[in-house]
Amino acid sequence: MRPFRFTNAKDAASAVRSLTGNPNARFLAGGTNLLDLMKEDVERPDELIDITRLPLTQIRTITSGPNQGGLSIGGLGRNADAANHPLVRQNYPLLTQAILAGASGQIRNMATNGGNLLQRTRCPYFYEVSMPCNKREPDESSARAGCGALEGINRMHAIFGWSEKCVAVYPSDMAIALAALDATVNVRKADGQERSIAFADFHRLPGDTPEKDTNLNHGELITAIELPRNRFADHSYYLKVRDRSSYAFALVSVAAALEMKENRIVQARIAMGGVAHKPWRALKAEQLLVGKEASDATFRQAAEAEMAGARPLSHNKFKVELSNRSIVRALQMAVNGGKA
Amino acid sequence: MNDNNKVTGTPISRIDGILKVTGKADYSTDHPVRNVAYGILFKSTIAAGTIRTIDTAEAEKAPGVLAVITHRNAPKLNVKGGIRGGAMLQSPAVDFFGQHIGIVVAESFEQARHASRLIQVTYDEAPAKVDFDKLAKGAVRPKDKEDEKRGDAKAALSTADYKIEEVYTTPIEHHHPLEPHATIAEWNGDQLTVYNSSQIVNGAQNATAATLNIKPEQVRIVSPYIGGGFGSKGGQWANLVLTAVAAKVVNRPVKLALTRQQMVNSVGLRQQNVQKVSLAATKDGKLTALAHETTTHCAINDEFVEPCGDCSKLMYDTPNSLITYRVVPMNLILPTYTRGPGKSTGSFALESAMDELAYKLKMDPIEFRIKNEPERDPSNGKPWSSRATVQCLREGANAFGWEKRKPEPRQQQEGNYLIGYGVACGTYPVHQRPSSALVKLKREGSTVTATIELAAADLGTGTYTILAQTAADALDLPIGNVTVRIGDSTLPPAAGSVGSVGAISYANVVNDACMKITDDLIARSGKQYFARPTASQVMIAERIDTFQARVDSKAPEGADDYSSHSFNANFAEVRVNMSTGMVRVSRFLAVTGAGKILNPKTARSQIIGGNVWGIGMALTEESVVDPRWGNFVTRSLGDYHIPANLDIGNMEVIFVREDDTISNRMGVKGIGEVGIVGVAAAVANAVFNATGKRIRELPITPDKLL
Repeated sequence: MRPFRFTNAKDAASAVRSLTGNPNARFLAGGTNLLDLMKEDVERPDELIDITRLPLTQIRTITSGPNQGGLSIGGLGRNADAANHPLVRQNYPLLTQAILAGASGQIRNMATNGGNLLQRTRCPYFYEVSMPCNKREPDESSARAGCGALEGINRMHAIFGWSEKCVAVYPSDMAIALAALDATVNVRKADGQERSIAFADFHRLPGDTPEKDTNLNHGELITAIELPRNRFADHSYYLKVRDRSSYAFALVSVAAALEMKENRIVQARIAMGGVAHKPWRALKAEQLLVGKEASDATFRQAAEAEMAGARPLSHNKFKVELSNRSIVRALQMAVNGGKA
Repeated sequence: MNDNNKVTGTPISRIDGILKVTGKADYSTDHPVRNVAYGILFKSTIAAGTIRTIDTAEAEKAPGVLAVITHRNAPKLNVKGGIRGGAMLQSPAVDFFGQHIGIVVAESFEQARHASRLIQVTYDEAPAKVDFDKLAKGAVRPKDKEDEKRGDAKAALSTADYKIEEVYTTPIEHHHPLEPHATIAEWNGDQLTVYNSSQIVNGAQNATAATLNIKPEQVRIVSPYIGGGFGSKGGQWANLVLTAVAAKVVNRPVKLALTRQQMVNSVGLRQQNVQKVSLAATKDGKLTALAHETTTHCAINDEFVEPCGDCSKLMYDTPNSLITYRVVPMNLILPTYTRGPGKSTGSFALESAMDELAYKLKMDPIEFRIKNEPERDPSNGKPWSSRATVQCLREGANAFGWEKRKPEPRQQQEGNYLIGYGVACGTYPVHQRPSSALVKLKREGSTVTATIELAAADLGTGTYTILAQTAADALDLPIGNVTVRIGDSTLPPAAGSVGSVGAISYANVVNDACMKITDDLIARSGKQYFARPTASQVMIAERIDTFQARVDSKAPEGADDYSSHSFNANFAEVRVNMSTGMVRVSRFLAVTGAGKILNPKTARSQIIGGNVWGIGMALTEESVVDPRWGNFVTRSLGDYHIPANLDIGNMEVIFVREDDTISNRMGVKGIGEVGIVGVAAAVANAVFNATGKRIRELPITPDKLL
């Protein structure tokens, strides 16, 4: 990796100040993604600001504000701690399942919640610096500009929302559950003020600026992720389809959460992973489910409505049918409270 | 072997286990060497052409950099000295994507890597041959592989009652040992010491010497422990000699380890194979023809073809047989030996086809195989030294509960899962290779200790342990009194730990050496004995303090008059998720006839290791080349999916009893390769039994089962 300066942040204010002052600086939390990218010469920061000692690890019930009664999860808490916290397990089992479906035990012990949201794509053309990639090389005059995957090996890539510039998918599992659970991301800005970003607005589709994964500005620090109260705990399920049973990114994943009254669906949330540049909320499917009796036919109808909008690439047509089946299966599992 | 056999054949734990789990076993780059500098290789980013310019000025000025070596300033090497795969910085030519084009040496690893990224290279690109699907049509017969014909398979196929003609494909696979290839080279005058993971210690010594234009006596290879190799550390690759070159250039010891990403185009691979298998049978299930035609690729200027037709030559009795190979040179790194070369991939095709034909014939696949069991080796007419196929199938069927299998697919379901059973056979040849060993005895009072020395290699599979067991019994000493020294080219020369010859060759030569030292001691004592004394009894009685003997052993006379192989039968139970197509091997049983099992515990582990890789081959492993540029897009263990613990269900291993001393006096057959042979087919056959879908293209990923 290239030489860089390393500093320890004393508090959130100084961390944000340091980062804002240097456009080539990055926060370092768990380091499970950033360090790999630096070793591969994909990320080339000249300064790392270690924020792991900031007191932003708490998981607590929210006592005021719009999410009152919900749960606040510290941005610098570890993934493993979030997954296994009693309040998460009890009230947001979907989040527990999604976190535990990702990475490996060792990585979840290191990785932080905020860092998880900021994971970069695992697109192999992004990772290898000799390959064309607009996300890595946004300057159109660069010899490596272009998208290697668009006409290349794109079996793992997007079927929704991609652009000619970028067909990469977003890799996190945790974030797919957070999208379904209508989370908000609390951020400390460069001026010391806080702002909240609705989860749907946090990540971006690639458009003409695939180098921007999120709407976070340089210098902003994720302090907490807030989960509103909901009635999904009894009927949720995270289904992850992958090429091996653990330590593999999703071909397709589905976070399904239902609020049921008897066999009727009162509310539905469906988010998908492995299909787009951001967590993909299946809003068409959700709308079709609300007010309906839970049945396989309804689930299939909802899945097909959503997947009608898919635009697969040369190597990933299978993802459309796989998504159809996965939505249905995840909904079946959610109805049954996660039991087969 | 001594009559009062005590430890050979018992499941003792590895004698080097404590060293390994406590981190005290020194793998290649663990060896403490003073004043070491760090090297890193940098690689081409085109697949074919010539380097036009290579600007190293900025790298040379970078902090800590000691040298940048490219084709412009590298010393002249003998490229035909036995190093595989070229890439030794001898010319500006680029033959494959990711070819080594230079090496940076610096005070630290980080400095070396940083500097390597400051190097600017321009190329004159040539059209690259990297799209196998397009090139396969132009494949030609390899130089050293004639078509092998017995009878007339094509004619028999055209008139058959029942036949199968299908194409089976396997992707490029990589060995990916957890210890990447890594070397420390240290010159002392004109003497070179190389700490390097080598499956063939003397092979590494000779290749290094010949390539550097020095004498073998000037090269010492030290390789006491190997963190996996699977064939990729059998031949030696450019990284070894380039480390020695770098050490010479900077006049300091140099340490060079490949990164995981560099492993995909540095140390060989298992090539992609397209195998057409044609089988014909009478309606009562007697095979009348077997044709196995393989098309594959090799390096652009070097031929290596894994023998996919090997199993088909000898597994089944058929009057008409055809084995052919066609190969197309490509701008990819040279393929090489990969666990069960040709047999693991070839058996996937053959044993899938056998399953397909059994299904067509409405025969049980076990009975179909047994019906076509050959009395002699059909490829050469020689008698078998022993052949356990039928026994493996019968014992396996019994242990596995084969009778519960439904012959028709999709008949067994549990919740959202379809369950299926599959069986497939495998084989691997047995050879004892020439090896030498030295036994040194030492007496202190009435305690005698032994040291066994030979330039053998332990891949991590238990060589130290089985040699200590062999020597302990042959000398009648407690195993704790035996020290084994291997993995050093200054020791008596020995075969490599490759091709399943390690245990056979080493155990026999050690046993022979222990017999010889006992004979020599008896002769020296000049006495006559009613019962043959042990070496230590003579040492003690005659008050001999130290004594040693060396032998050179080879296969017994007449071994070649027989066909000697290990045989197995593999049984798989799979559970296929009907919604997602994800497959899990819930149970796997390997039944193996592998002669004398020196240590059932390490042997079981080794068979399970082969089985797990076979399951990986069946379900998850695939190296993918971008057909536009010739680069691998699967460059990490996150992209190249070796099975994880969660992929592996209950694994069981049975060894059938075999007493076969024809190929070697100890009756050992070797288990390094046979454990992977037939595994992928057993899984694929089980997937068919579960789902009714016949997948002929590995790996069986979820998308293929939708």
